[in-house]
Amino acid sequence: MKYLGFGLVFASLLSVSGMELRSAYAADTAGGSTVMKEMLLAYYYPRTDAKSEVFMRIVNRQGQTRERRLTMLRLDEADGGKQSYYIYFHEPADVEGMSFLVLKHPGRDDDRWLYLPSIDLVKRIATSDKRTSFAGSDFTYEDVSGRDLDEDDHELLGVESLGEHSTFVVKSTPKRPGEVEFSSRKFWIDKATHLPLKVEHYDLKGTLYKIYETSEIQTLQGTPTITKAVMKDLGSGHETEITIKTISYDVGITPDLFQERLLRRPPTKWIR
Amino acid sequence: MIHGFAEVGYGSKFLGDERTDKDEFNLLEERLQLKATYRPAKPEWLASRNPEFFYKGDLLVDEHEEKVKYQIREVYGLISPFSWMDVKLGRQILTWGTGDLVFINDVFPKDYESFFIGRDDEYLKVPSDAGKFSFASRWASADLVLIPFFTSDVSITGDRLSFYDNLLGRLVGKESDRLLTEPSFQPNNTQIAGRIYRYFGAYEVASYAFKGYFNQPKGIKNANARELFYPELAIYGASVRGPLPLLGGIASGEVGYLDSLEDRSGKNRLTENAAMKYLVGYERDFPKDLRLGVQYFVEQMLDYDEFKANAQPGDVPRDQFRQLLTLRVTKLFWRQTFEASFFTFYSPTDNDAHFRPRLTWQISDHWKFTAGANIFLGQHDWTEFGQLEDNDNFYTRLRYSF
Repeated sequence: MKYLGFGLVFASLLSVSGMELRSAYAADTAGGSTVMKEMLLAYYYPRTDAKSEVFMRIVNRQGQTRERRLTMLRLDEADGGKQSYYIYFHEPADVEGMSFLVLKHPGRDDDRWLYLPSIDLVKRIATSDKRTSFAGSDFTYEDVSGRDLDEDDHELLGVESLGEHSTFVVKSTPKRPGEVEFSSRKFWIDKATHLPLKVEHYDLKGTLYKIYETSEIQTLQGTPTITKAVMKDLGSGHETEITIKTISYDVGITPDLFQERLLRRPPTKWIR
Repeated sequence: MIHGFAEVGYGSKFLGDERTDKDEFNLLEERLQLKATYRPAKPEWLASRNPEFFYKGDLLVDEHEEKVKYQIREVYGLISPFSWMDVKLGRQILTWGTGDLVFINDVFPKDYESFFIGRDDEYLKVPSDAGKFSFASRWASADLVLIPFFTSDVSITGDRLSFYDNLLGRLVGKESDRLLTEPSFQPNNTQIAGRIYRYFGAYEVASYAFKGYFNQPKGIKNANARELFYPELAIYGASVRGPLPLLGGIASGEVGYLDSLEDRSGKNRLTENAAMKYLVGYERDFPKDLRLGVQYFVEQMLDYDEFKANAQPGDVPRDQFRQLLTLRVTKLFWRQTFEASFFTFYSPTDNDAHFRPRLTWQISDHWKFTAGANIFLGQHDWTEFGQLEDNDNFYTRLRYSF
């Protein structure tokens, strides 16, 4: 009898919290999506085009470092819509001159090309798996170029302050679990700039395994820009720090640039 | 800035084939490569035309040939005289087409010796001394390549790899004394290759044309004098490449008609017949840095009846349809610093195969270690991979990049 009573209480508790969750979920999905959309625009689509020089430092558990230096050109066709990227590697020496061209189409797989200068080969790359590491770093392709909003459900959990920033906290859960290596991600998004300050990644067992943290934001040409960030893999002790050495917005990059020609013939004035 | 690498490589032979120069190994060398790029920012009239000057050269201590060699891999100037045109003049590596280690419209020279003894993939491509003129427009892009100096494939001569000598009718090594006569350097011997390509959505479509010579000595000039030559060749081809709907991944197709200009009827048994070549390929990636690629290639000899009618005893038998399958499996480990790859060629018609397992470990940004093997199987001595059967090798390379 005692046991049954306890069970009943427990069951009713469950159903109440379940109802609350459902209503909260319905109410907050819109809020979560809005916050995430603003984040995507602020983080991946600021202004119309950008030329940046990026430095990546990859550190393993033993403290050994690998470094990548690259120039990135970006052009947006529409905010939150089609986007083109060109990435030219300067360092390390053995990949110098290698370049990437990415045409991003929301709603379908990106078109991606890789150019290997030593054999003059333009290679079309299959992009079914966006969760692969970008250039051996702890960032994935999706981290670098943005994950489609529609891939996840976004739940606004509340408002928290993080350091001196007031942030929205959003939990994103993949709509098709099993396609990705995380079960959910939790974002802390700066209310003022809409930029992500921290992202926690939870694995399929619900354990925190990867943390992204913004370590520096600068306002450049009037645009708040993340200029330093770290992605830490807690399990392996591996981490990658990305530093934006220089960035210029609206420099006049034109759509005709993003062709095979660009790979075989690097745009001297942009990468010099 | 000067970059480059220093590398040592050693490749030992499994089977101790004694036909070649060295019984124990077919790769033992130290290599220093230096490269430099210069993109002048002044004067303004030049800088505005996106100029680039590039040099890449190798100093090679080749202990197989017991020689020190200096090879200029690339040295060219690249400039855009107009916004819609690029000109690249000088020694350069040229590549196009959709095949993965299988070539139809990529008519540019290859070094199969390097490919089979375990040098870096870079050395499969032989540079051409050429002028490349590229044109861009909204409707399509085009490349026109002029190659005034004929460069053949690096032929297997028997010094390093034993092979089937069709004049002797058996496997030979260093005693092979074939005389390979290249086309002379004359203005009207200039080879011309062209490509027009454009995109339809995500699909890239290209057509190709070429007039020049076979890159391999596919003609017999004088059997008694053991003299071979590079017959004239024209190729017309096309290719398409793009994402495969539903399945994902990248699919490609390529065809080429090879017009053997010195034996258009196929009646001359001393010169290679015309052919059609077909290739379909599919590659896709899977989670955890796994990538698979498959290709199916068919080479159809044209005028096959003439070939049969004119063949003489001792001639190498050929199929009308030679088929070749390739499989590539690549997997990356340890944050993409360790690569295991396996490439297989298998021909069901020739009944031969070539396996290329390879491990590459990027120890740091500077150090790279590579170990791999080249294994050849074949029922007959005269097929493409079967003739190399005694050349199985295991190689290792250690490279320091700077």
